[in-house]
Amino acid sequence: MLIFAISDKGGTGRSVTSTNIVYRHALQGNDVCYLDFDFGSPTAGAIFSVGSVARGTTRKGLHDYLLSEVAPEPHRVDVWTESDREGLRTKPPGAGRLVLFPGNEGGGELPAVDEEALRRCVQLFSRLDEEFDLVMVDVSAGRSFTAEMVLQATVRLPSVPFRWLVFHRWTRQHILAADGLVNGADGLLDVGTRFGHDRDKLRDRIRFVRTAVLEPDAAELVGLRDEQRAWLFACDTELRELASRHKVGRTAMLGKIPLDPILQWREQLISDEDVLASKIANAETAAAFDDLAKKIVDDAAWEGL
Amino acid sequence: MLVMGEVHTGLLQNSGEIPESTCRDVLQLLSGERVRVSRRPIVYAVSPDLLTGVDCRLPSASQSRIRGAGTVLSRSSITGGRVVQGSSHTRIERSGSDRRQPWSHYLARPGVVEALGKAKPRDLADGFAEEPSADGLDLGAISARFMDVVQSSPLLDRRAPFKIARTRLRWVAEPGEPAIHFTLHSDQMRTVRLVHTGEFTPAVVDLCEDLALHDWLLTALLVIIERARIGGTPGPEAAAKLAPAVDHLLHLWMPSARVDDLLSPYWESLDRRPGFTRQWQSLVDRVRDQLAVHTLAFLREKSGGGAR
Amino acid sequence: MTSVNATFGEVAAERRIASAPLSHVSIELGHLYMEDFEAGPERLREQFRRVAPWAGTVRSSWQDRIPGGRARVSTCFLIDDYFSKFSTPAELVPMVLDAAADCDLTIDYIARESACAESDGIELARLVEDRLVNDPPPDTNGSRPPVKESGWLCNGARSPQVGTVQAMGKANRWAPPLQNAKRGHSIFVDVELWDENGGKRTWSCPFLAAVWQLLRLGLLRTDGRLPLRPVMREDAFPDDWESLPAVMQLNPAAAPFSAYTTLSVLSPRFLPVELAVRTILSQVAVDGDVLKQVVARSGGEGIRLEEELVDRISYVFT
Ligand SMILES: Nc1ncnc2c1ncn2[C@@H]1O[C@H](COP(=O)(O)OP(=O)(O)OP(=O)(O)O)[C@@H](O)[C@H]1O
Ligand SMILES: [Mg+2]
Repeated sequence: MLIFAISDKGGTGRSVTSTNIVYRHALQGNDVCYLDFDFGSPTAGAIFSVGSVARGTTRKGLHDYLLSEVAPEPHRVDVWTESDREGLRTKPPGAGRLVLFPGNEGGGELPAVDEEALRRCVQLFSRLDEEFDLVMVDVSAGRSFTAEMVLQATVRLPSVPFRWLVFHRWTRQHILAADGLVNGADGLLDVGTRFGHDRDKLRDRIRFVRTAVLEPDAAELVGLRDEQRAWLFACDTELRELASRHKVGRTAMLGKIPLDPILQWREQLISDEDVLASKIANAETAAAFDDLAKKIVDDAAWEGL
Repeated sequence: MLVMGEVHTGLLQNSGEIPESTCRDVLQLLSGERVRVSRRPIVYAVSPDLLTGVDCRLPSASQSRIRGAGTVLSRSSITGGRVVQGSSHTRIERSGSDRRQPWSHYLARPGVVEALGKAKPRDLADGFAEEPSADGLDLGAISARFMDVVQSSPLLDRRAPFKIARTRLRWVAEPGEPAIHFTLHSDQMRTVRLVHTGEFTPAVVDLCEDLALHDWLLTALLVIIERARIGGTPGPEAAAKLAPAVDHLLHLWMPSARVDDLLSPYWESLDRRPGFTRQWQSLVDRVRDQLAVHTLAFLREKSGGGAR
Repeated sequence: MTSVNATFGEVAAERRIASAPLSHVSIELGHLYMEDFEAGPERLREQFRRVAPWAGTVRSSWQDRIPGGRARVSTCFLIDDYFSKFSTPAELVPMVLDAAADCDLTIDYIARESACAESDGIELARLVEDRLVNDPPPDTNGSRPPVKESGWLCNGARSPQVGTVQAMGKANRWAPPLQNAKRGHSIFVDVELWDENGGKRTWSCPFLAAVWQLLRLGLLRTDGRLPLRPVMREDAFPDDWESLPAVMQLNPAAAPFSAYTTLSVLSPRFLPVELAVRTILSQVAVDGDVLKQVVARSGGEGIRLEEELVDRISYVFT
């Protein structure tokens, strides 16, 4: 299964959330990999705490694989052996493989979708689907050639299942932007249909994920004044209405991740140790990632809207 | 001088094994050329040989820049309607001249790459067994594509019973005192260095493909057993995870099935040490025992329930 | 009991390759465009008069080479019924034969150009296209599939695309195309193999001429069999081209159609076409077993054939 992680705006939490999802999915016993297709800024290595590829690889990365004339297999990083974090460096019993494919250090955005790069992309997806239960692809923010390329690639792989996750924050701007990215002119549905996807089927394969959500009744808000709390409730209700009007509401939502202080300070994986031993992370956050990691492959959560 | 090759092996991307007739259609890579099939002791279907042109650096342990030009011979095959292989090899020969010749010169010698300049067989062989340089001869990429053509065939449903990595086996064959060295590198990478008496024959390619096939089977079975976490998970769960091995792999073990009699001593010596068949047998026993224990527990539960 | 030596064979697992009867040389007695036919018998005679002395020279030089002078020489003539259909076989063929006879030339075999595209359900042109192995430019190491421009074939590396490869990356500047095995300077050739219109493919003239050369060299097989055999002429020629056999034998005493070597005597206006044919043929991979078969046969007769098949083809442009 291929999962494409996209957001309209940058800095929504797309990378942090999608890496945590694959990490949880690996812990649940699946072989997973993460492709850093955020070509303009390939920094997924940092989130997995693999210092050597924190800003992309200096070896043959995904840029080379797609664009260069002579390019062998793209560099693979086995997170269970190469992470700098002690807690990640041993594969927990029962966990599956967790492999990162970094982009090139200093690599840039795709300038266009050319046939050759597209063919290589199809080949890569097809080979990885043979090997991994889940292939998570960080597609970068907004309308990009990368998004266009993977939309075309999936048309050519009709029997490889794929799904899209659209990440957005819980604000007015983000809700409108996420809706626009999917349903707007030249959005995912428009472009996907242009390249040969069936519009309705494609829509069924897209779900929204709300990131860094602060619920009005959250523990963090206990010290607020009554007026503040009332305002927050009103705001939240309004956003909910806005979201459902824009087809970004509950039914199209796959899950939400609460705001977590440690993620606000550092882009990282949240391990059980962070929750149970050092207690720096909230249990709800880990549970939300865990839940999403199950839902992305749970067909019941993806039934037609 | 020497022959080098690389075989990639993986699980056919289909829910069940495919019949002989589908194998034929999937492997029909060249018009006007038949897919060859042998049925005993296991159905083995192989595409016609195809050529790929190369003109690049040859491997060299001493990092010498030796240019080679010529063609690589490749084929795809399916064993037991279940396991796919992409296999490429080329014979390295000294060129009569140190200039690149017109292409027709190389096409008159299919499957030969000529080394322009001074190449030493030992240096080439040592270089090939190591991690290849990025701009050097890449037989692996060619073999991978010969697997891709099969795996992406529209005749397959792509619903393989389990996910599993392909394995890669690089091999070098040289003439001399008979010997074979099999080395396990990373999870997916293996090398074979083989010394044969007399002339090189295509039977050596068959032998390397057969080794690659069985090494993959062993690797896949180990992965499945590891995933089942026998003892670490409840019996029924472990049994369910072992089931694909029984359904899809266990019957495929037939070492030396397609290997020329003259070369079967190589298999036999590897079977003595490290003992491929011994390991396979003990894993198979483990899977069967586990399933038997599970069945027994299941029956006991059922009959126990009935008595009450 | 001592050990028993068992053998087991499976027919489907073995490969069998038919062998073609072969002459020493196949001489093509010219090639004509439609306007040449339209111009009438005198134009044909003019053409054959130019060809005759060269054909005679090649015939006698082979007779000198072969002990007892028993050289097997066959002649052939290809009529274009693919790009344009002119007249009918019943009218045209006798006219050609008469014109040749007037110049003391015997045409042993007559062939239809469209048969090089397809004959009896066998798509010979496809067969050859599938056997193209592209001449690799330097630094082709196999990591990428060969660069193919659909429908084109060249003898080197095309000019790189001008433009940027990735955002904010360096732009490619124009560079000249390069011939692969150049001597000093490049002679870069890029040949169109076919084009497609409304889903229908039309093979180019050089491509069909390349197929024609391979047929004359007896190097093509389908499923190990010969793709076509000459059919002996009947009394009358048919009224439509489709009913004419792909290759028709006119002279019952002729040496075999296919040969170790070929000679084509052509007007110089065919020079560019034949350069293209050579570019194509130097990238066709003939089956290794067929190559060995032909080398063994010629060796048995004490003839040393050129290794590269393009060197078995010769021309006179007159
Ligand atoms: N649940 C969360 N709680 C608090 N902070 C979060 C949460 N999720 C993400 N963040 C923080 O938000 C910031 C942006 O996250 P991230 O880098 O994952 O976004 P992105 O969408 O991938 O951005 P870009 O488009 O720049 O790649 C980071 O500092 C991250 O740690
Ligand atoms: Mg990011």
